[in-house]
Amino acid sequence: MTEMTDMRTVYGETLIKIGEENPNVVVVGADTTDSLKTKPFGKKFPNRFFNVGIAEANLVSIAAGLANEGKVPFASTYAIFLPGRCVDQIRNAIAYPSRNGKKGLNVKMVVSHGGLSVGADGGSHQQIEDIAIMRVIPNVNVLIPADTIAVSKLTWIISQIHGPFYMRMTRSKTSLIHSESQEFEIGKGIVLRDGSDCTIAACGITVQMALDAADSLKQEGISCRVLDMFSIKPIDSSLLEKAARETGGIVTCEEHNVLAGFGSAVSEVITETYPVPMRRIGVQDKFGESARDSEVPLLLQKHGITSINIANSVKDIRSKIR
Amino acid sequence: MGLNYYHILKRIREARKLVIRGITAAGSGHPGGSFSMAEIMGCVFFKFLRYDPKNPLWEDRDRLVLSKGHASPGLFSNLAVAGYFDKSEIETLRKFESRLQGHPDFKCPGVEFCGGSLGIGLSFSIGMALAARVDGKTHRIYTIIGDGESDEGQVWEAAMTASKYKLDNLTAFLDRNFIQQDDYTERVMPLDEELIGDDISEMWKNAARWKTGDKWRSFGWNVLEIDGHRIEQIIKAIRSVQQTKGTPSIIVSRTIKGKGVEHMEDNPKWHGVAPNPKIVPIIDLELDCQFLIAPSIIAGDMTNLENEVKRAAQGRADFIHLDVMDGLFVPNKTFDHNKIKELRPITPVPFDSHLMITDPVKHVRDYVEAGSDIITVHAEVCDESSFGEIHDILRTNEVSVGLAINPDTELPQWADKFISELDQLILMSVIPGKSGQKYIESSHEKTQRITKFLAEKNFSGFIEADGGIDLSNIESCFLDGARVFVGGSAIIGQKDVRATVSEFRKKILHARRKLLIQKAHSLGGTELVNKWIDLHEVGKKKSELIQIAKEAGFV
Repeated sequence: MTEMTDMRTVYGETLIKIGEENPNVVVVGADTTDSLKTKPFGKKFPNRFFNVGIAEANLVSIAAGLANEGKVPFASTYAIFLPGRCVDQIRNAIAYPSRNGKKGLNVKMVVSHGGLSVGADGGSHQQIEDIAIMRVIPNVNVLIPADTIAVSKLTWIISQIHGPFYMRMTRSKTSLIHSESQEFEIGKGIVLRDGSDCTIAACGITVQMALDAADSLKQEGISCRVLDMFSIKPIDSSLLEKAARETGGIVTCEEHNVLAGFGSAVSEVITETYPVPMRRIGVQDKFGESARDSEVPLLLQKHGITSINIANSVKDIRSKIR
Repeated sequence: MGLNYYHILKRIREARKLVIRGITAAGSGHPGGSFSMAEIMGCVFFKFLRYDPKNPLWEDRDRLVLSKGHASPGLFSNLAVAGYFDKSEIETLRKFESRLQGHPDFKCPGVEFCGGSLGIGLSFSIGMALAARVDGKTHRIYTIIGDGESDEGQVWEAAMTASKYKLDNLTAFLDRNFIQQDDYTERVMPLDEELIGDDISEMWKNAARWKTGDKWRSFGWNVLEIDGHRIEQIIKAIRSVQQTKGTPSIIVSRTIKGKGVEHMEDNPKWHGVAPNPKIVPIIDLELDCQFLIAPSIIAGDMTNLENEVKRAAQGRADFIHLDVMDGLFVPNKTFDHNKIKELRPITPVPFDSHLMITDPVKHVRDYVEAGSDIITVHAEVCDESSFGEIHDILRTNEVSVGLAINPDTELPQWADKFISELDQLILMSVIPGKSGQKYIESSHEKTQRITKFLAEKNFSGFIEADGGIDLSNIESCFLDGARVFVGGSAIIGQKDVRATVSEFRKKILHARRKLLIQKAHSLGGTELVNKWIDLHEVGKKKSELIQIAKEAGFV
């Protein structure tokens, strides 16, 4: 078993390192700073840390005001309380205001508890609509890192480039996918496995599933290309087109509603560049439910989000290609 | 420092006209809320805000956040007057590819917040205020929120946060105009208390029923409650919050939606409608016909002038007119700057000091320091050089500049070069020197003649009629061209000053309505007169106007 690490811990540690280098970085929280692991930043930089209470609309709007003044605010809470609850404030106070050629205000919305894998808190707290909500807002960039290495590197990157970013982390610990030397670039996907028979594109916790599926298919003689598409917007169109052209089919997998989510984003590219058969694995337009940590795999299985389902979809596509 | 009263007043008037110009060209927009906050905007922009139109993003500028973004014409017009862009650009409002979007937008220089979706601006301002604190900057953030906007829960999230962080660099204004899109606020969502019955005016009359301020107090804010159309109250409030440490401040400003245009005032219909272009010249004239009442306290008990100032202030006078006589320029003596200094703390109502003294240039500084807001000197004892000096002293000290002439004096030639700069011209209609004289009838003709002359010379100030003004002649004085009216024995000499001032206003209003009906008739005959009168839906205005039109033979 690979090493499991915690995204929020790494996020909090990274923020402190960034904060030491960049005095303009500030952190805003909404009564979840302990959980999001941003509290240590507040201990270290009390003047640059603001807890606005359980008031998410206020959270993102204050972050917008800070960004307007040249600060680099990281606004963090749980996924369910940010995109869904604050879509108006995100749109009008963060994404819309643009001056001097800079698109949107420089707010970094970094959330935890994305998708079904939240588990025990139940369906009410499992944000399965955030990709859809955030990616349709002009000027907003959407990132879903697959492991803590990605979290650390992407946190650094977004602190250094202008623009509104939404980054979704997972509640539970995740396995390490990438090596420390892996380079990340916004708008560029990462090829984790090369292959020629089919492509599996994933993001967040489904990247590990994609790798597992590719491993099992390999034993059956099917060679899969596996892509970590952590940058959902902007999306790496040329990498996807190349994958379509070279492998002839794409399976996507996401911990999100299949409607307007990651798979949709991929299919938008594929239909316009190099149409090939696709399968989109994800939540089939339904809500989730409670599941204890040990039961989360069962919850995901109930929604078809498993490596087995990915593998089956790959085989299904291949039967259509032939 | 004086209030810079006329300087602000003229810019507010100009901004209101630009609002009408923009909204009319666009065919849509929000005049009501632009006008209710017009005085607040004017005072902030032209008295307090530090900004540089040539460098809109100057780091140390003060920030003005218009959270109630639908009132964007009220912001754009002030930006235009302040010099951020050419005034004619207001006609591009809401049009394709314009910088002046339907709601405030960074496309327009000087805009600090993209408002429109309500309830966000105060939180955004908190971000600005926190950033200023992190950076150790001393600039201030002024934020205007609406009362309808206060339905939004986020406003109260922000209220708590600003209080928690003790943001004394943040000042909010609540534009409390009692009207939101659907109806009166107290019907849609009571901010004070639910309106029972139909008479909203009952609600307004009784300040004890206003609870909005208490809400903010309970959230830990420093709360000031003022009449949001009175320049001196706004300025006093802002000066006070600038001294307040350790807490954010909100200035709850009682305002009138559509203020300045009778048919728009207090009518929910004018929340977001453009005027008919045919009506616009009448609206412009109405905005030009703002009038002010200035009771002269020497007509009262000279042994207790403190009380006379109080009576005038409580009587809701616009100015306190102070006749300074030195026994040389005029035979009588009244008081000097020392008395004015003593009276000054009694009220924030502007002091309109009329210096009937010789050698005013020698003494003018004393009257500035005593706390005058307007100082008028006599042309008879000035020349180009001394008046130039007086003018410069007054401007530097933000005191408005007045010139006066006696009944038998004409405007001297040298005054020509000052006319466009002049704030106030007093035309004496009695021989100055004592109170209680009768109005000299030839003053009517003189006022008309001078009004005409001034109009040709780009005069943007106000003519003040002084001497023998009473209820019997005030209407004709208004129609002559006077806009400020000194009332001696006719006001201060009366028992009930408040009722008398109100009578004065009614009379002038009657004259103004007559003038506007005449204007309508000259533009579009009976049809336009009727159309314009029909717009006056609220209260008894319509029936009163019909009566006036009938008397004038226009309906």
